[in-house]
Amino acid sequence: MGPLIPQEIITGQWDFVIALLIGGAFGFILEASGFSSSRNIAGVFYGYNFVVLRVFFTAMIVAMVGLLYFSYFGWIDLDLVFVLPTYLNSMLFGGFLMGLGFVIGGFCPGTSYTAVAIGKIDGIVFATGFLIGVFLFAEGFPFYEDFYTANDLGNITIGEMFGISNEWIAFLFVVVAIVAFYVTWLIEKRVRKNMTEYKFE
Amino acid sequence: MDTKIVKKQQPKYINPYFGGILLGLLLLAAFFIAGRGLSASGAVKLLVVTVVDKVAPAHAEGNAYYSKFIPADGSSPLYNWLIFGAIGTFFGGMLSGAIFGRLKKLRVEHSPKISARTRLIAAGAGGILFGIGSQFGRGCSSGAALSGTASLSFGGLIVMALMFGIGYVFAWFFRKLWI
Amino acid sequence: MKEELFISGRNIPNVDPYLNIWHWQIPIYLYLGGLAAGIMFFAGYFTIMRKEKDMETTVKWAPFLVPGALVVGLFALFLDLKHQLYFWRLYTTIRLESPMSWGAWTLMLVTPLSFIWVASYMKELFPKWDWKFNILNKAEALAIKYRKSMAWAMMLLAVVLGVYTGILLSAFNARPLWNTSVLGILFLTSGLSTGLAASMWMSKSKYERKVLSRLDLIMIGIELFLIIHMLMGFLAASEVQIEAAHLFLGGEFTVVFWVFVIILGLVFPATLEVLELKGFHIPVWIPALLILIGGLVFRFVMVEAGQITRFLY
Repeated sequence: MGPLIPQEIITGQWDFVIALLIGGAFGFILEASGFSSSRNIAGVFYGYNFVVLRVFFTAMIVAMVGLLYFSYFGWIDLDLVFVLPTYLNSMLFGGFLMGLGFVIGGFCPGTSYTAVAIGKIDGIVFATGFLIGVFLFAEGFPFYEDFYTANDLGNITIGEMFGISNEWIAFLFVVVAIVAFYVTWLIEKRVRKNMTEYKFE
Repeated sequence: MDTKIVKKQQPKYINPYFGGILLGLLLLAAFFIAGRGLSASGAVKLLVVTVVDKVAPAHAEGNAYYSKFIPADGSSPLYNWLIFGAIGTFFGGMLSGAIFGRLKKLRVEHSPKISARTRLIAAGAGGILFGIGSQFGRGCSSGAALSGTASLSFGGLIVMALMFGIGYVFAWFFRKLWI
Repeated sequence: MKEELFISGRNIPNVDPYLNIWHWQIPIYLYLGGLAAGIMFFAGYFTIMRKEKDMETTVKWAPFLVPGALVVGLFALFLDLKHQLYFWRLYTTIRLESPMSWGAWTLMLVTPLSFIWVASYMKELFPKWDWKFNILNKAEALAIKYRKSMAWAMMLLAVVLGVYTGILLSAFNARPLWNTSVLGILFLTSGLSTGLAASMWMSKSKYERKVLSRLDLIMIGIELFLIIHMLMGFLAASEVQIEAAHLFLGGEFTVVFWVFVIILGLVFPATLEVLELKGFHIPVWIPALLILIGGLVFRFVMVEAGQITRFLY
């Protein structure tokens, strides 16, 4: 039955209107959970506010399990769902840079839009920096074009990579998530003992 | 829980687990309707492509990266799911800020231990790094890490693991910015 | 890809099969006309209701935008004319069956009226203002004396102006998208809503903003109602109208229309205004700006989409 747009069940330009609505809900949920404040986000690295981990992990396991359930019921055709392709070298490097950017800037692009929307100048600066970064990358692209596409493993899933079925991977994720929630709860309690303010606007 | 009385009123946020469930359901809906997850970095990439194409079309055509995103039929690269998703994210955030009372005048949010200027420089530097990194990583935290891992992509898992792993490794060096 | 083979001789450039003669000048003019009509209507209304003291911005400050808007709009219209040196001929005849004649004469009356209205308040807002000629001082006194009549005239002429911008399009019975009588009222409502948004943005008093934003919510509600019924009317009419409606329901104008006109231009600002009335603090420029932009985009979309629709094959 799904996904609807790739199968032309919803046609025409309606998909952009839907994109707006989905984006709207996305921005709303992010902002309402506290992601519009860089100090909340950076809390995951220093232990005083694990909102990033909680929201991210929960969303990930809900979506993962949901997708598998939908596929099991025949409601969605997983072959038509876009799976991010894996370019090993490029992604390792990209993840490295993004990690640095995350801990220095305290935002990621989606959350920076919500920060801009509520009037945070550091969000605007981050978004501008992001724009410049993309521009710099594109300008220098000819130099590392080969590196960019090196080691293309295709659109493989985690299961295919390690030879375990997708359902087991999802189960593993849920277990890891629950453990992580518990551990971070303990860490947070300990770190917050010495702080007066750990939830920021 | 916390019995210390903070002078300011605690900001109103929804329960993070609840927010995570909502986000997960939204992601599921996005997959169901459009066959793809959410992503914020793609919109900026398309914006850069459009601007460069407007200003220096020949250069854009020649560059292997830009030319991939310029549609052949002459329509604007901005005519894309990602752009409208980003516009929606902006206004959705605005609505939430309005409801929870965070829609205030322009301000720089920074730790009291550093100046606003330091924070802005850090935000800019972080932004640039993230911009370059997101293109290498084929997505940002919402696109690659969240949606990618939810669709069980191996690349998504790598990006997410590295993003947070490297963040933890370097967190100690940048602790002055935050705590 | 859509291929059309012309076998008949019907291939007049810019007219058949797609009309392609009205460009940016017309939507700009329609928009500014509607905005001016909106501001003038409420300036007149609150004067008649003797609420000038409470609604100062609407009655005194906002009308300052009107002369400028009308002049710019008329200039845009002038730019669009083919035989520009003969524009004065419009004013040598009154043709009751022609919307353009109605519009020309209404504007002829409304523009000086708006100048006089603004001039009559000049001394109140700029205490050092001096007309320098005695006759102007006498004229000002006359204007102030007859403010109520001017207010009535402004209100009625503003309604005519607002409706005429829509009737101008709906008089084109060869363009199925335009040939609906809803367009007159729809453009009037849209104009009133943009006028309210402009006054709301300029206002400094909380009470005034509350009143204006309540009125604006009603206007937006009516506008949404009219748009929905316009589309429903199209879908229930003949084949050409159904095709015209499909331009907005999956066709090439779907995104611009639904995203920028309906969601960002009407529904989202209305939500923000409701939140503001319920006590949440919203900076007033956000809904106001969105409504103003939405109105402009709406005019552009209607003019462009209308020229694509046609009755033939």
